[in-house]
Amino acid sequence: MLKVCKYTLIDLARNRFAIGYATLLLLVSIGLFMLEGDPTKALISLTQVVLALVPLLALVFTIIYFYNQYEFTVLLAVQPLGRRNIVLAQLLAITIAMLIAFLVGIGMPVLVFAPSAAGWTLLLTGAALTAVFTAIGGWIAVKNRDRARGVGIGLVTWVLMVLVYDALLLWIMFAFSDRPIEPVIVPLAAFNPIDLARILVMLKIDLAALLGYTGAVYQQFFGSVGGMLVALCALILWVALPSWRAVSAFASKDL
Amino acid sequence: MDRVTFEGVGKRYGKQWALRGVNAFFAPGEVVMVIGPNGSGKTTLIKCLLGLVRAAEGAIHVNGMEVGADPQYRKAIGYMPQLAEFPRELTVDQLLRMMNDIRDAPSGSTDDRLIEALGVDALLDKRIGALSGGMRQKVSAVLAFRYRPTVLVLDEPTAGLDPLSARTLLDAVTEARRNGTTVLITSHIMEEVQQLGDRLAYLQDGRLRVLLAPETILDITRETSLSKALPKYLAQLPPAHVESV
Repeated sequence: MLKVCKYTLIDLARNRFAIGYATLLLLVSIGLFMLEGDPTKALISLTQVVLALVPLLALVFTIIYFYNQYEFTVLLAVQPLGRRNIVLAQLLAITIAMLIAFLVGIGMPVLVFAPSAAGWTLLLTGAALTAVFTAIGGWIAVKNRDRARGVGIGLVTWVLMVLVYDALLLWIMFAFSDRPIEPVIVPLAAFNPIDLARILVMLKIDLAALLGYTGAVYQQFFGSVGGMLVALCALILWVALPSWRAVSAFASKDL
Repeated sequence: MDRVTFEGVGKRYGKQWALRGVNAFFAPGEVVMVIGPNGSGKTTLIKCLLGLVRAAEGAIHVNGMEVGADPQYRKAIGYMPQLAEFPRELTVDQLLRMMNDIRDAPSGSTDDRLIEALGVDALLDKRIGALSGGMRQKVSAVLAFRYRPTVLVLDEPTAGLDPLSARTLLDAVTEARRNGTTVLITSHIMEEVQQLGDRLAYLQDGRLRVLLAPETILDITRETSLSKALPKYLAQLPPAHVESV
């Protein structure tokens, strides 16, 4: 598995999209820190960029890379290798490459301009989102033979998680505003990795106070060690489940 | 002992049988040309042997090892696909090293004659993405022969190659046959089939209709070219009849 991972990484190191992705993130983050005098405010803006852009690009890049490598993956499947190892190696390599691009593009500026607890939380949650959406992208690509369909499903997934899910939560909160539904909203938020990442960063920036009672519930839950563990487990599950589905689907698939 | 055996092999996509009731035995040092119209099941037959698709019924054995159980049986197989695609940012040299690592092939154990014969040595430092389709086919041919396989599967190997390289490749097939390698080749070029094949396997509608030496078909039909003899021979067969020796 590590052999395939190593050479996939060499391929990805020279990939123009991966290099462009790192450069784009670097320009955006340096731009935000330079334009905004207050690093905390820049960090809030950067959080919005990371929460929208990182899932989208990790998802689309993974799907397209898998499709571009399809013929070669078939050739690998004819070598004395287990199929599970092939797809796991490819997923691992893409995750590492996207993480490196993220850490270069966002990590370096954050560590220079805002090396606070909030900055570190943004880096950790951004890295987690990279892994989550790479895994989801791999699953989508393995399950769907048609490239256009795969990319379409990827985009719909992103829209659902970034926009529709939030809209749904807002509607629930609005519709049941006369009832104490915050204890229900917390697990619902954890169900979406982007919302979970947003909450974790907001809590570190002390913006939870602006959210009123909901913010207090978030603070009470995710501010505790138990809550952090739940958040961590949720993110690990968000990586593990799609990865496992991708590996299983590839192992039983007709190529 | 047979090198490759198909015993009652069938493959179904949904309700449609792509391959049905295939029984065939291929010996060491035998070149079998797999031919048939589009959609006849050639690719499915080869994919079943390579373990890329799972047969719905029957069993395939390579060197006595059942296909599908353990990927190690593929150590004996060299495969040249019809479409050669590799990671675009790797150099040819890195690709060769990658395959060496995957195959656990110590240096000096590989057969590198085709690297020079096909001019791939001049491409070693080039990025795969900078190579033409024909050049990638040459790299693909090198990879197929490099690990001294006992079973070679070549999917339309000369398509996309210049005439000289195609000749070099066919010579390499002849050499591999001399060394006892079992070779399965899909081809639409009847001259190639007649010239190279010890037997031809003709598939139609997922069924193996003919498995005979080209000379036998020529003798029966009293024709001199296979492109004329095969249609004549097929016309005299009853539907779903399977002729083999």
